[in-house]
Amino acid sequence: MDILDKKMIVIAIKNLKDSFRRWEYYLFSLGFPIMFTFLFYFILGSQGISNGLSSFDYGFPGMIIYATSVGTVSAAIGFASDKSSGMLERLDTMPTGRKNVFLGSLISESITLTLQIIIMFVLGYVILGVYFNNLLGLLIGFLVSLLFGISAVGMGIIIASVSKTPQIANGFSLMYYLPILFISGSLMPFESPIVYFTPPYWAKQVYMQITVMGHGLEEQLYSSSLIGYTAEAIPIPIWGGVLIIFGFTLIFIILGIIIFQKKTKF
Amino acid sequence: MSNTVIEKSTVIEIQNIKKHFKDIKAVDGVSLNIQKGELFSILGPNGAGKSTLARLLTTVLTPTSGDATIKGHSIKTGKSSIIKLIGVCPQEIVIYDILTAEENVIFVAQMHDIPFKKAKEKAKTLLEKLDIGGRKIWAKKFSGGMKRRLNLIMALVHEPEILFLDEPTAGLDPQARRIVWDFIRDLKNKGVTIVLMTHDMIEADSLSDHVAIIDHGKIIAQGSPTELKEKHGSENVIEITFSEKEDLNIVKNQCDNISSVNNYNVIGERTLLISFKGGMKNFIEIFQKLILVENINDVETMNFRQNTLEDVFLNLTGRRLRD
Repeated sequence: MDILDKKMIVIAIKNLKDSFRRWEYYLFSLGFPIMFTFLFYFILGSQGISNGLSSFDYGFPGMIIYATSVGTVSAAIGFASDKSSGMLERLDTMPTGRKNVFLGSLISESITLTLQIIIMFVLGYVILGVYFNNLLGLLIGFLVSLLFGISAVGMGIIIASVSKTPQIANGFSLMYYLPILFISGSLMPFESPIVYFTPPYWAKQVYMQITVMGHGLEEQLYSSSLIGYTAEAIPIPIWGGVLIIFGFTLIFIILGIIIFQKKTKF
Repeated sequence: MSNTVIEKSTVIEIQNIKKHFKDIKAVDGVSLNIQKGELFSILGPNGAGKSTLARLLTTVLTPTSGDATIKGHSIKTGKSSIIKLIGVCPQEIVIYDILTAEENVIFVAQMHDIPFKKAKEKAKTLLEKLDIGGRKIWAKKFSGGMKRRLNLIMALVHEPEILFLDEPTAGLDPQARRIVWDFIRDLKNKGVTIVLMTHDMIEADSLSDHVAIIDHGKIIAQGSPTELKEKHGSENVIEITFSEKEDLNIVKNQCDNISSVNNYNVIGERTLLISFKGGMKNFIEIFQKLILVENINDVETMNFRQNTLEDVFLNLTGRRLRD
């Protein structure tokens, strides 16, 4: 498979131009993480727990994962809009390749996602002083949330592929996104083994354990076990959690290409 | 401009193709041959199956049964080869509103593997040719006519051998329509095979080498515009719209007694179309006989004109194209 086809880059650039030239983009896509971070801070910032850390410090990784999950909804709506406008059908009469359309959209949405995460990181860690162990751990946390976000965007495009209109895509993506966040325990604890089947659980757990808990990145990443839903350690190291997130992302992308190719036939 | 000499050969062969959507037979057993370099029009009213046929031939839809080949490639199995040969201008205006005209054209060109620099040059030439000024302005600020012309340019920036145009002049003012027609003629002169889907009989008449008339998903007649008009109608038509609908029946009965009248059709409640052969002499004879009919109120309008493809369609279906 020709992964680096120039056309997917052309599509991604076109999508980004389309986004950056709309005021709605700045209000919703870039304004949302700002609003979300401050909202979280005002609710949890003053609640102390232990070791001098507030609920906000512990909850921030979960908040990042929650916010990046919104990529599912925005990707689904954007992609379904292209579908209903007839542009996907038009592209289908050109030697574009559906894989390039899918991956091009994934790239552009991932760039938006990166900007959103950077905004939340700057607000959280630089301005609001959220606790973190060390810079390298923070970088890994950033990459983990980005990787998870890409899987969320992939899921959004899959949802759009099977939706006829942006409204239906919006409905389906919310039906996926909201329950999955609750049953993953990423926003509030959920004591059930179901959490292991959800990508946000692994993303939040890895990110939180690396940036907030323990000391020494190497020990954390290679020796420490992930903490399960019962608050006990499970026999999976943190790096194993990273692999699981990577696996979920890869599955969503491959599934996305397959479903997109089949389900966007007119 | 000197016309390119084109060797005639069949480039599109449609064999009993059908497309059914549940109970709706959108295309119902169409068979046609389209020659290289020909401007072939599919003429029919809205909902006749033109766009569905175009979507089948451009591999967007899969036929329920039957097949078609484009330069020997089946639309069922040869999609990847076909999309390199064709350009498609859809009926809907499908452009990126937030991109400029130039960016829209360059984007499509790049999808056809044209390098950026060359794509930019081609975009500039085409946009100037089709009179789209302000190529650096976002397309959403364009008038409807400019958007439609941009829609057309996006179909042909890669110089396809075969061009599918689905209602390319819908909604254009007469001047813009004339520009597009001249442009289409120019393309035909360069040897491009053009399949034009239209409900505009003047467009089909003035541009086409060959016309196939479609109704309810079936081809009901085909030939050159002249052949169709000769075969399915008379040379001339008198169109009378009466003030009172009762008058129509009186004149209609009188027509049965005039030998030069070939046939007549009633449109709506008050309009009568009388087809006849022969020129002015017969027109005068018919006119004299009709004005002698007693107890007729004033007529609203009366036109004497040559037979058109609209009349051909009327004779074949009893309906007008725009009905």
